[in-house]
Amino acid sequence: MLSLRQALSIAAKEWLLLRRNPHGLAVLFLMPAAFVLVMSFALKDTLTAHVDMPATGWVVEDRSPVAEHWAREWQTRHGMLRLDDRGALHAALRERRVQAGIVVATGWLDGDAGPRADRVELWLGHPVQPASAARLRAELSFSMLQVRMKMAASAAGPFASVLLSEVGNEELQPTAAAVQVRYLHEIDSGRRMTAVQQSVPAWLVFGMFFVVIPIAGVLIQERRDGTLPRLQSLGVGAAALLGGKWLAFTALNWVQLGFMLLVGRWLVPAFGGDALSLDLSIGWFLVMVAATSAAAVGLALLIAAWTRAFDHAAALGSGINVLLGALAGVMVPRMLMPPTMQTLSEHSPMAWALDGMQTVFLGAPDAAQIVPKALLLVIFGGLCLTGAWWGMRRRGSRH
Amino acid sequence: MLIAEGLRYTYPGQSSPALDGVDLVLRRGHAVGLLGPNGSGKSTLIGVLLGLSRPQSGQLRSPGDIAPTIAWVPQDLALYPQMSCRENLAFFAAMLPLPRGEQAVRVDEAIAACALAEFADQSSQTCSGGVRRRLNIAVALLARPDLLLLDEPTVGVDPQTRGFLLEQVRALVRRGTAVLYATHYMEEVEAVCDRILLMDQGRVLAEGHLDGLLRGDGDGPAFDSLEALFMHHTRRSLRD
Repeated sequence: MLSLRQALSIAAKEWLLLRRNPHGLAVLFLMPAAFVLVMSFALKDTLTAHVDMPATGWVVEDRSPVAEHWAREWQTRHGMLRLDDRGALHAALRERRVQAGIVVATGWLDGDAGPRADRVELWLGHPVQPASAARLRAELSFSMLQVRMKMAASAAGPFASVLLSEVGNEELQPTAAAVQVRYLHEIDSGRRMTAVQQSVPAWLVFGMFFVVIPIAGVLIQERRDGTLPRLQSLGVGAAALLGGKWLAFTALNWVQLGFMLLVGRWLVPAFGGDALSLDLSIGWFLVMVAATSAAAVGLALLIAAWTRAFDHAAALGSGINVLLGALAGVMVPRMLMPPTMQTLSEHSPMAWALDGMQTVFLGAPDAAQIVPKALLLVIFGGLCLTGAWWGMRRRGSRH
Repeated sequence: MLIAEGLRYTYPGQSSPALDGVDLVLRRGHAVGLLGPNGSGKSTLIGVLLGLSRPQSGQLRSPGDIAPTIAWVPQDLALYPQMSCRENLAFFAAMLPLPRGEQAVRVDEAIAACALAEFADQSSQTCSGGVRRRLNIAVALLARPDLLLLDEPTVGVDPQTRGFLLEQVRALVRRGTAVLYATHYMEEVEAVCDRILLMDQGRVLAEGHLDGLLRGDGDGPAFDSLEALFMHHTRRSLRD
């Protein structure tokens, strides 16, 4: 009973100290909020099936009428900036008037053999996303195939040639853009993955793990100033000390959660981004937040208990968190990672948290998706807490 | 009040003991000055008496097996600088096995005893060194201790604060509190303590009534000051 009362008093003291630590609060609230805002826009088109075509500039060096016809056709279909030579193209790329350049080099039309792909150069400016570049290449390939078909039709005789030219551009439009891309999670929730739907749980998890900074700050200050042995001399055991901190920072994680939901729901849309959908399964959501908090606070206490100076704890805690976050797909979504990295990332506690959270945020999760991740997090948190308790007792006995 | 017999303690990884068979008797209404050069084992002895370190051999016992309430004034200012004096006291009072109402009484009592009323709601980090030293002692008084262990409680304070603190300790002794007073200031021991325990390298070099030791009662030589006695036993070589 006394231990419980001591733990509650320690938790209240931690809150008091936290309220008077603006830098610690900034790390826990402003940093993840800023990341959500930035990443919601940075990843805006990355997570959707729609990929924009980059603006292109064309230089046609091949003097054949077919090349000229091809360029005009592209102009009609996609729009482009016609440029006189390569120098002008490079200047346009540097000045960002175009994002990509196409050079139809001399010898592109190889007589009756048709257009040669190896005589087309694709120049890319720095800001072009890989997905956009891939779409441009696909459009170029298709467009050249269209030229080849028209030439073949022309060679086949007047009827085919006329027929083909009549149906021409409209019927031979690439169909890739019209294909409906669907994700499995839409079956259950009908919800699409958006950048804000990815960013809020990702940076919430990241921010929750950053409780290491205030926890280490207080614990190391207590050790340095002698308040920790003083508390121990008053009969406060390691369990009450750790329990009090656990309570305080778990509560703090819940406040972080509320704040991040506000950011996703109202702040990101205020800047023109998508709004976070809060049509969640509350029960599973609470399970995931509680499990994530257990892991985050456990890891923070472990680091704080085993480091001697705040600088060490801050560097180690931040380094571990950034590494776990990168592995988990907080910074770069896991779907964009190569398969080996995706496999590796399954060993990061933040990935367990993020997988579970995203399942909740995408709607209609079930026990099979949530419980294993939550269990892993709780076990991880428990092991960390045991390590922290051992560290506290060990240091206490060395007084 | 508290009897220590044959205390031996060696820190993990160390070959020589920090305490090597220390005997000590602390009595109600008496103050023992704990003297010794740096590294002599004073703080380790206090840690063992507080139960922060468990001795490898020897024992601590109380007459009648009634465990005394022990409080400690550490050498460091063991306080939360971001919290006010009152908040510090309230927090440490909450760690004691006391009802909430009694905690508030003890806080007010400690504030009054250490003349902290003027600074009670001031952040302790903005208080002067002397006020923080007083607060450091006030925290220990919350427990109304039977035995008070003071580890260099007057380091870095002005003569006025030192005089106040010494008077507070004398008042506690007069009220029946047992005191163990560790310090390097001989005049403080002379002002507060009736007995001394002189240690070096974990061993007790001299123990007894201050006056008797100075007079050289028994076989020992006489000394004209406590410092002379100290230097005689501990020699002049520099320590860690």
